[in-house]
Amino acid sequence: MSLIDRYIQDVGRRLPRKNRADIKAELRSSMVDTLEDRFGPEPSESEVEDFLREFGQPREVAAAYFPEGQYLIGPSLYPLFRMIAWIVVAAVLGAQMLAWGVAIFIAGESFSVLEMLGSLLNSIPVSLGWLVLTFIILQRFDVQPDLEDKPWDPQSLPKIDDEEDLKRWELIVGLVGGILFLVLVVFFPQWIGFVTTPGGKFYPNPVIIQYLGWIKVSLLAGIGLNIYLLWQGRRSAISRFVKIAANLFSIFVLALLVQGHNAWLAAWGAGGFFDSLEVISSIAGGEWEVVGMQAYRLAFVVALIVTVIETLVMFYRLVRGKIQTRTIAGLPPVSA
Amino acid sequence: MSKENEISELYNKLTQELRRGILVLVALSQLKEEKYGYALISSLAEKGLDIEQGTLYPLLRRLESQGLLKSEWNVEGSRPRRYYVISPEGSRTLENLAGEWRSLTNVMEKLLDGISSEGEQNESD
Repeated sequence: MSLIDRYIQDVGRRLPRKNRADIKAELRSSMVDTLEDRFGPEPSESEVEDFLREFGQPREVAAAYFPEGQYLIGPSLYPLFRMIAWIVVAAVLGAQMLAWGVAIFIAGESFSVLEMLGSLLNSIPVSLGWLVLTFIILQRFDVQPDLEDKPWDPQSLPKIDDEEDLKRWELIVGLVGGILFLVLVVFFPQWIGFVTTPGGKFYPNPVIIQYLGWIKVSLLAGIGLNIYLLWQGRRSAISRFVKIAANLFSIFVLALLVQGHNAWLAAWGAGGFFDSLEVISSIAGGEWEVVGMQAYRLAFVVALIVTVIETLVMFYRLVRGKIQTRTIAGLPPVSA
Repeated sequence: MSKENEISELYNKLTQELRRGILVLVALSQLKEEKYGYALISSLAEKGLDIEQGTLYPLLRRLESQGLLKSEWNVEGSRPRRYYVISPEGSRTLENLAGEWRSLTNVMEKLLDGISSEGEQNESD
């Protein structure tokens, strides 16, 4: 009977400790009953093997006794886990942006895209890892969320998401704006800058001129995408991918611009916001370039943050849309 | 996998689902007198219903945890065996389920009227 004992041991190690001994004893008694009934008191090794094959894999037998044991995070805990996971990701991103904002503007630290990505690649998986670990422990101890079943009102259903249908005027405004800016960047880059004092000297922004090539490519990508969307009249999974790719490129270019402004300001001894105030006050009446460049940097940082958030939202919608599409594939549209 | 195999596999799955739905009623109906697992399987097999052991034993446990069955170990025979018997709550549930089953079979008879089953098909062939 050593095969039977090995089998029962293997089933048992997958069972919750609470009922393990009892289930193992019952299994053994029932299996021996069956073997005796079929093959007599001394079944051969091959007869036992055949019987065990028929009985099923230990993993499957244990799963029948303890279905929740098959999950790291079971179906009853999963909705809560998913909700908290999104909150954690949003909180980590928010905290990280705040930290970067403080580091760049207040402390005047240098800005590096790689460092930014590196810290995100570190902080998000670590936070999610701790969350998963917490839920695995809750699952192991069979903790069930006490979610109140509130009466449900059909009127609270979200409105039909019509973001698939594009608003043409938005595209046209975007296209015209993009073309105007491209013309400015291509033909009159020296006009992008600032005036120091009323009636004073005009300063072209040296950082923009330095990264002119990247800015042109980014603008061309945006214009191309708008033309394609106008032509298609509808968003698709491909156009969303392209839009996300274009946004990622914009993030890269904006990051370059912020970095460039940081370097320029640092060279003037005004890397941080308070340093700039000192420079401005110590050189009374002069150095308006620092103020102008600070304003440009602030604008680019805001644009960077907005683009990052927009890209994340688009990515979320793309993934959610794909899941929904898969679920309802093949169903005719319902118009009630 | 050929189309025929796919259909056959699907049929097996659907049959399993259909049978799984009646297992609670089957177990409760046969445990008015106490029985151990293998004895229950044997008596069902004699009556024409084969149930896998790996399916029945977890089901008996579940019904016990839901208060529909009671069980205890009996060590008097050749080996210790766990005997199950229906509880008073189980009896009431059984009566309700039996009523539900009868009304369902009535409805199903009407719904399936005119649809030949596999056996009848073979006979007519």
